[in-house]
Amino acid sequence: MTRPESISLILKRLDALGIELNKPELRTANESTRLFGDSSSLDSMGLVTLIADLEEDIRLQFNISVTLVDEKAMSRLTSPFRNVNHLADYIVLVVNSKKL
Amino acid sequence: MPTAIITGTSRGIGRALAEKLLNSGWHVYGLSRSSAQLNHANFKEHLLDITDEQALQAAIRLIAESTKTIELLVNNAGAASLNAILLTPFKTAESLMRLNYLSTFNTIQLVGKLMVRQRGGLIINITTVAVPLNLEGEAAYVASKAAVEALTKVAASELAVQGIKVVALGFGPIATDLTRAIRPDKIQKINDQISRADGTSIHEATEYIFEKINNPKLITGSIDYLGKTR
Repeated sequence: MTRPESISLILKRLDALGIELNKPELRTANESTRLFGDSSSLDSMGLVTLIADLEEDIRLQFNISVTLVDEKAMSRLTSPFRNVNHLADYIVLVVNSKKL
Repeated sequence: MPTAIITGTSRGIGRALAEKLLNSGWHVYGLSRSSAQLNHANFKEHLLDITDEQALQAAIRLIAESTKTIELLVNNAGAASLNAILLTPFKTAESLMRLNYLSTFNTIQLVGKLMVRQRGGLIINITTVAVPLNLEGEAAYVASKAAVEALTKVAASELAVQGIKVVALGFGPIATDLTRAIRPDKIQKINDQISRADGTSIHEATEYIFEKINNPKLITGSIDYLGKTR
């Protein structure tokens, strides 16, 4: 999986969530869009939904079952869920290490 | 046609419920250690030890690949053990927790993720009247089912935004392998306590669950028992 593929996966999901949750700002998200915290449009359950959706997207598109939230993700110095950029890097890392 | 996943389909309530749903036009995936020996075109089973995390994950993945939606999950697989607290081996308490509580936790997580994607679904966890009755001699079993009830309530509030309902349904003693070791006078005492002097049959329990499945007004997070518990 490439980084652009990962970014596009996340932005597509955020777009769909933006429609569903009626949050237009998610529809215009970019690489620096925050995924949690005060300045994020997603609340904690929104983030959970995004992660669950992404795990399924990855399974369907790449035929790989991944768990994006585990001890490894939580113990990283910089949270992979901080913004789109970090999450994209993390997804590439998880998917590609699973492929090996 | 709606699709259900039921754990513990080889016998008892799980098998009877699978049959009931199949006869009502459902597709059913059964998860159990031994075969249900159910011959129906819409029944598929995965034989596994439900406490085996990897095996469970693999089975759910296979199911996800073969069906578009999963409308219902019934966490029915379970075991009981009768013993005084002071005499119950730690291993017994541990294995009851693994089977009754942790496998339910795991299944909710794996199937819940699929239900999140479809933004809807119903999860039914099977519990027991032994919890509200605080039955003596069943501490390890009751504690594991109390954990299931607590999990039901928290999962219900977490998953409500995604349109997923989570409930627990409990029964008194039913004549299945689970209650075979209990003395008849003890069973009668429990049945009297819950105002079901004639006991509960597998058929009645199945009908009760089926009625809840078809009730659009079912309140998420509710813990309902067939019988009077207070």
